[in-house]
Amino acid sequence: MFSKRNTLFLVTILVTAAIVLTACGSAGGSVSNVDWNTMKSAEEGGGMEALVAAAKAEGELNVITLPRDWCNYGEAMDTFASKYGIKVNSLLPDGGSADEIQAIIDNKETKGPQAPDVIDVGPAYGPLAKEQGLIAPYKVETWSTIVGTNDPDGYYYVDYSGVMVLEVVTDYVDQVPTSYADLNNEIYKGKVALAGDPRASNQAAQSVYAAALANGGSLDDIQPGLEFFKGLNEKGILLPLIADSGPIGKGETPITFQWSWNAYANKDNFAGNPNIEVVYPTDVNWGGYYYQAVSAYAPHPAAARLWEEFLYSDEGQTLWVKGYCAPARLADLNARGVLSDELKAKLPDPALLAASIVPSGDQLKAARAAVKEQWDSVVGLDIK
Amino acid sequence: MDLTLTPSAVPEKKSIWERLSATNWIGLVPFFAFIIFFLLLPSTNLLFKSFQDLNGNFTLNNYAVMQNPYVIKAYRVSLLVSVITSVVGGVFGFFVAYAITLGNTPKWMRNFLITFSGLAANFGGVPLAFSYIATLGRTGFITAILTSICYPVATGAQVCPFNPYDNGFNLYSVAGLVLAYTYFQFPLMVLTITPALEGLRKEWREASANLGASPWQYWRDVALPILSPSILGATLLLFGSAFGAYATAYALTGGSIYLITILISQQIRGDVLNNPYEGYALAVGMIVIMGITILAYTALQRRTSRWLKS
Repeated sequence: MFSKRNTLFLVTILVTAAIVLTACGSAGGSVSNVDWNTMKSAEEGGGMEALVAAAKAEGELNVITLPRDWCNYGEAMDTFASKYGIKVNSLLPDGGSADEIQAIIDNKETKGPQAPDVIDVGPAYGPLAKEQGLIAPYKVETWSTIVGTNDPDGYYYVDYSGVMVLEVVTDYVDQVPTSYADLNNEIYKGKVALAGDPRASNQAAQSVYAAALANGGSLDDIQPGLEFFKGLNEKGILLPLIADSGPIGKGETPITFQWSWNAYANKDNFAGNPNIEVVYPTDVNWGGYYYQAVSAYAPHPAAARLWEEFLYSDEGQTLWVKGYCAPARLADLNARGVLSDELKAKLPDPALLAASIVPSGDQLKAARAAVKEQWDSVVGLDIK
Repeated sequence: MDLTLTPSAVPEKKSIWERLSATNWIGLVPFFAFIIFFLLLPSTNLLFKSFQDLNGNFTLNNYAVMQNPYVIKAYRVSLLVSVITSVVGGVFGFFVAYAITLGNTPKWMRNFLITFSGLAANFGGVPLAFSYIATLGRTGFITAILTSICYPVATGAQVCPFNPYDNGFNLYSVAGLVLAYTYFQFPLMVLTITPALEGLRKEWREASANLGASPWQYWRDVALPILSPSILGATLLLFGSAFGAYATAYALTGGSIYLITILISQQIRGDVLNNPYEGYALAVGMIVIMGITILAYTALQRRTSRWLKS
């Protein structure tokens, strides 16, 4: 039974909620009549100047899951913001690819600062997002010089790459291992860890995949990798810990598998406390890369496209190099002598990068299914 | 004797309008708003989504995931870890609570432990896991101290026999997890069981002693039957807090103790294992288990208060 006053209260609450929610949902429209959401290149929308003007009018850009020390994204965001006077909202810096996809799905109808404009995802998520209609095709001006497994229509494209390395804290390891095979030794008991649970982390899953190739497996056979880690686990060499900067800095997980750019960023962050050595394993040269894409539901469609233009400009590509990531236009940059020797030294040997093994999308899918099914039998403790 | 009641003796009967007046309820508005937005709406959303496929159509397929052996195992491991840690934390906490209520410890000890419990019961997650790693890990602070204790034996050689890892200890195991959970479980037990222990009246003990009962008989026939619903209720609360916990276990054992909460998080936001809708179904399964736990807790609470009221 409601009194009139109670009803009034209820109504007030609902109205307030409605106003708040609507306010969150409103977003500034573009100044010109061009609908940048459907533009497949800057040229189509009237050229770079029109794109810059439209992006400035939008005034904001929402990026997602970009840690500041991952490929030097922090500096890239700051530079973009000051160069164009566009505020960059960095959402969920520590999230993963699945978070990015989910954020687009959850915000299809809303246009607030919580809806990502652009994404940077693991290789499996490019085709997946395209299939689900979550990303829009867009080709940057430098498109023809992007090297990699790009979508021919421009839905997703390689942004940067690197190789899988061993990050070794030399303060706690007397004899630095040089290969996966080396790790299978009692002297590394309780010292080896993965960067995540391979059932959840792309980086960790790829570490298992790489171990397969180091142990007689192939891109179609991840089994030896699982067996390898099973062996390490049984001997107590594998430490069931998530090796992020906390345990690594403490020296608790002295040997971890990482993408080269993360290992070098860690080394810089720790600045000698503890000492990090980055080892390129001799028995497998495993490559990794990520995809870049624009959301089909971007609240700031022009700013999203301008961000891509910025990332794939010489300036943006150089910023990635500063963060130890080999940008997709590296060959072009090198051909034109854009990078200083100092910057070049931040990347793995170009020959090593070129020769690195990279699985196809389908192979990766099959490998993931095997990891998902079997990882529990590799490390799982059964509690009786 | 004048039996007529004077009007003033009759409690003033308020009109229904006065009792429902908004001013009486206004303090509860934030609470209900909070509950609606952060409990009821998300739970309802979860329930609906667990019956949807990727395109939003109705389906029961998400629940088929319950048949997977690794899902069944995850539920089982979660239940076992929760039971083990709630029993260990419960027993430990009970004795602490006993010491500060019925035991003859000084008053400041009681104040100290209650305050500590209030703090520790709310400490969990990754910080808790990392504090254990930093103290009892292989390179941990306490491990280092223990390892550095050396002495010469008869043959003249130095021995350092106290490294816990040489003696079968491993922090990254079920034992380590129980140790970490105990950190917040036993204080929770202290906080919930102390009032019940304080409710044990001295007269009952004296009365049974007068009737010739030994202390053991007093505990078996009087105190424990009165306390048992409280103890079980408090243990159920511990069970609930362990069952919902996730970050501590993941940070400490990296998925080798595969709890249902870890599986759900990987389904919803993992980069490899990823099907949010199955994750929702698994979460609904947890809600059902927690619902049963809370019902049992409420029923037991009711029984306790019945005993203590008389």
